[in-house]
Amino acid sequence: MSVRYAPVGWNRNKIIYDVVLLAAVVAYILLYIKIAPSFQDVTKPTTGTILRAQAFGTCAFLMLTFILCIGPLARLDTRFLPLLYNRRHFGVITCAVAFTHAATIVSIYYSFSPLNKYVAVLASNTSYDRFLGFPFEVFGIFALFLLLVLAATSHDFWLKFLTPPIWKAIHISVYVAYAAIVCHIVLGSLQSKQSPLLAVIVGLSVVLVAGLHLVAGRIERQKDRNAAERADEAPWVVAGTVDSVPDGRGIVVPLEDGERVAVFRYGDKLSALANVCAHQNGPLGEGRIMDGCVTCPWHGFQYRPEDGCAPPPFTEKVATYRLKLDGRRILLDPRPNEPGTYVEPVQVTEA
Amino acid sequence: MAGRLPDPGFFVGYLNSVPRPLAIFLVVVAAALVGGMAGLAFALGTNANDPGDGTFARKLGKQEMTGVLLENPYPILRVRPDARNPEARTIMLTVPGKRSVKRRGRKLFGQLVDVKGFMFQRGDIDMLQVQGKNSLKAVEAGEDEPPPTFTPAPSEPLGRWRLIGEICDSKCHLGAMRPGDGLAHKACANLCISSGAPPIFVTQEEGAVAGETFLLMADQDGGPLPGNFGDYVAVLIQLEGEVERLDDLLVFKVDIDKAEVL
Repeated sequence: MSVRYAPVGWNRNKIIYDVVLLAAVVAYILLYIKIAPSFQDVTKPTTGTILRAQAFGTCAFLMLTFILCIGPLARLDTRFLPLLYNRRHFGVITCAVAFTHAATIVSIYYSFSPLNKYVAVLASNTSYDRFLGFPFEVFGIFALFLLLVLAATSHDFWLKFLTPPIWKAIHISVYVAYAAIVCHIVLGSLQSKQSPLLAVIVGLSVVLVAGLHLVAGRIERQKDRNAAERADEAPWVVAGTVDSVPDGRGIVVPLEDGERVAVFRYGDKLSALANVCAHQNGPLGEGRIMDGCVTCPWHGFQYRPEDGCAPPPFTEKVATYRLKLDGRRILLDPRPNEPGTYVEPVQVTEA
Repeated sequence: MAGRLPDPGFFVGYLNSVPRPLAIFLVVVAAALVGGMAGLAFALGTNANDPGDGTFARKLGKQEMTGVLLENPYPILRVRPDARNPEARTIMLTVPGKRSVKRRGRKLFGQLVDVKGFMFQRGDIDMLQVQGKNSLKAVEAGEDEPPPTFTPAPSEPLGRWRLIGEICDSKCHLGAMRPGDGLAHKACANLCISSGAPPIFVTQEEGAVAGETFLLMADQDGGPLPGNFGDYVAVLIQLEGEVERLDDLLVFKVDIDKAEVL
């Protein structure tokens, strides 16, 4: 967490993350353009510039596939959560790789003619009325535009400026960009006498991304179906039992209206907060108590459990909920308090 | 699923310490990412389709030839046989970039010219990229000599053919780019052709017409193809028309509007 904006917020983990990413990109590009051509069974090798364009294009596609897998993987196995922590750097590097692909293509396919090369990108192929020969480049341009917007607005300044709901809505368009890239490849390279391997890889990538999202989504829906039961006394609902909440951790309580509440135990106290982190909607209930604060598992944003306020000098706030005990049962008032409202923690005793 | 796994520890990015079980897992993921990307790069990089043997034959050095410069259907040179090349040849002409030789040759069409430049070669079809100062000029008669002349052989009709294949721009297909065909190259081919590169028809079956695979395209009257036919470039089409032989170059005279996309 930081109270001031820096162009890039570095720490040791982010540096390691970026070094691994860059190593993967460099390994991919070097192998594709320097080593693999020696093993090709061809009369003459592919033109170097075209090879570079292919390398950067396929690399960007694979990187975006991996990025889109991180979210559902982290839902299915919390060990993948650290990959989510610096996913924005992953996205920016992917955008740079995709941009290099586009710049390389423009430099070879659209240059050297009397027509301006950028005009030529849109004017050279106008077969919009047919499938075979459709100007697949427009899908690539559209996807690159979206990736550039996402990269440009990836900084926390924009998150704060646009507010998390708008920022999140904009960044969901990464799926539109991915779909556009798939169309770009399917209508271009895959119909262009390429080896079947690219078709297999693209197909498996799409199945992987869609499959992981479906599985993770199904599990989340199942959780929501088990909404907390109403207690005898309205408006209270049964959140669980004292013994079901490990010390220093929380449980996630789904409500009938689709909201989720995080109930935390810290020592002999219980408190309840909205499950959605004010930073990027991370699942607070899957976090831990650290230094007396609920800590989000995504980016480590912290909130005091009793009032939902980030500790000074931070200003983020989440809604709080009232709790009470009925024997060992934890009862929750499902009506949220205003973000930052203090609620006296419930005292628990050992059974 | 998460609940069934042993607790790997809690990761907070800005705290530099990473719990050991989680660190081990992340090292494995990092190695899989780098190794996986390397493996995919190798697999995709080695699985390239053969782009053919088209090449910009700079190694041959600058070529000099003399012949009659013709404008239609696209700029070609009917090369005069000489001691080194006793067979008459017809060579397509281009200039550097995606441009036509028409501008440089506009006052010379129909004349005997000296041409210098570098060759593009693919199989047994050639193209000359006119390049350099004074690389395209009329042949001048020496003092007290009659003006040199050369009359190319008339075209030889090879009959009417229905062919399946792809329209490519000659320059890229003959070696300016490898691959210089297919849909990924369509926009480039359209741009090259609209900028003046002669379009060629590449038959699907190798050596489909009199042993030749590449045919220079022309309209039914022997002129350049009319209008915008970009929709038919780089896709598999069927075309019917007369084929004529100009020395070693075949010309496919078609009504492009009757092209059938397959």
